[in-house]
Amino acid sequence: MAHLIFDNVTIKYPVYNGAAKSLKKSLLSVGTGGLLSKAPGDVLTVTALDSVSFQLDDGDSVGLIGHNGAGKTTLLRAMAGIYIPISGSITSAGKISTLIELGAGLDSELSGYENIYRLGLLLGMSNIALEKLMPSIEEFTELGNFLEAPVRTYSSGMLMRLMFAVSTSNQPEILLVDEMFGTGDKNFQEKAKARMEGLISAAKIFVFASHSEDLIKKFCNRIFELNHGSVTEVTKTFN
Amino acid sequence: MISKNALLKVVLYSAFRSGVIDIVLGLKFFNIAFFFAWGDTKARYRRSILGPWWMVLSTAVSVAGLGFLWSMLLKDDPVKLVPSLTVGLVVWQLLSGCIIEAPSIFVRNAHFIRNIKLPFFFFLQQLLLRHLIILGHNIVVIVVVVTYFGTGFKVEQFLIIPGLVLVFANLAWITVLLAMMGSRFRDVEQIIGAIMPLMFFLSPVIYRPSQLPFAQAIVWANPLSYLITLVRDPIMGSAPPLFVYQVSILALLIGSLFTVCQLGKHRQHISFWL
Repeated sequence: MAHLIFDNVTIKYPVYNGAAKSLKKSLLSVGTGGLLSKAPGDVLTVTALDSVSFQLDDGDSVGLIGHNGAGKTTLLRAMAGIYIPISGSITSAGKISTLIELGAGLDSELSGYENIYRLGLLLGMSNIALEKLMPSIEEFTELGNFLEAPVRTYSSGMLMRLMFAVSTSNQPEILLVDEMFGTGDKNFQEKAKARMEGLISAAKIFVFASHSEDLIKKFCNRIFELNHGSVTEVTKTFN
Repeated sequence: MISKNALLKVVLYSAFRSGVIDIVLGLKFFNIAFFFAWGDTKARYRRSILGPWWMVLSTAVSVAGLGFLWSMLLKDDPVKLVPSLTVGLVVWQLLSGCIIEAPSIFVRNAHFIRNIKLPFFFFLQQLLLRHLIILGHNIVVIVVVVTYFGTGFKVEQFLIIPGLVLVFANLAWITVLLAMMGSRFRDVEQIIGAIMPLMFFLSPVIYRPSQLPFAQAIVWANPLSYLITLVRDPIMGSAPPLFVYQVSILALLIGSLFTVCQLGKHRQHISFWL
């Protein structure tokens, strides 16, 4: 039984002054959205999620929509336990796999095979399980001999294939996927869809952030709209 | 109504607990950290015939060159100088390697930290293990030099083991603390980079503290001198002075306690700092 419960979750980023370079960068990365407010002292606080509450259970596949900087990626990271809320609570049960940033967790100098291995270990798979899964991962990526080549030679679509294959082979109970999903070609999206449907029918949770209405319609049975850090569930009516 | 004191105790205790949780979770990743560290070492020397033995060669070359030069410059007997210089240089490589890399470790691993939930101690284990592997290779140079110049086996040489354990335990808290500071304040890396050469001259690598006619206290004001002595003296066949052990153990206890509390307090912020 997988579940994911957000109870009044608020996430604020402290953005410190003084460390000039890093400060500028962090401001730029949140500059396109979020609520900027000047707290007393020199600490700038960005409210990335504002009192968010919802409950996800087995079989839910959620599409996240919202403008750039609305907090979609922050919400995914909070679901994964990477960002910790300053108030409210997040309870989750189930094995989590993430596909948030393209190329994350990959070493560009190492080959595709070595990266499958590393990513798999980090996602909690054992050596033996990985050996067993390797043929099916190989087959799913359709990368063939490219798996011998260093990952730096891969296109974004190829990276996506590799990461998706590893993240879903783990039989995750909660799968969190960001935007970049769209980089795969049509053939891959069909395959991914089949695998997703398999996961969803096995009563697992799937959360997917995207700007593509088509993809969301294809994959999701619930839709959350994010706006400046607050979440509203919309009924599936948009065309 | 809770008194301020009791509240402080609760806050400190929960920070300590949270820090310990991160370390314990990290230790569960020990095998994976070793696998990564080993892979990184191999990857760095891929496409070269000697592989990781390049490091050994470069250590051997610097030992031969510096040993020859300094024994003439310092008018010291090479039989005394070269072995102690070799061990000193190898231990210095370990210490400075870990300390210089530590402040940027979370920044360099940001793509992991922001995407996969992992204990932070995992990355520092990887750093320490990578340098342990390098040390393992460099031991060849030490063995060759010490057998060639050395006075044979002595019982004191068993003290190498507690010495190395103390060095790595101290490095563990130092690197965790530096890694946190380095992710919060980006200039920590540059500051450390500027201080380390100074520390080199203040540490007993080229000379032994007893050789200094004046100001031995300055050498013992450098915390790294203790860590070097802990490993070097036993290899050279003498037990390190007792105060070296006392200072190292005290530093380990206080440093670890402080660092674990800081880690517990800030581990939920680190991903925001990156």
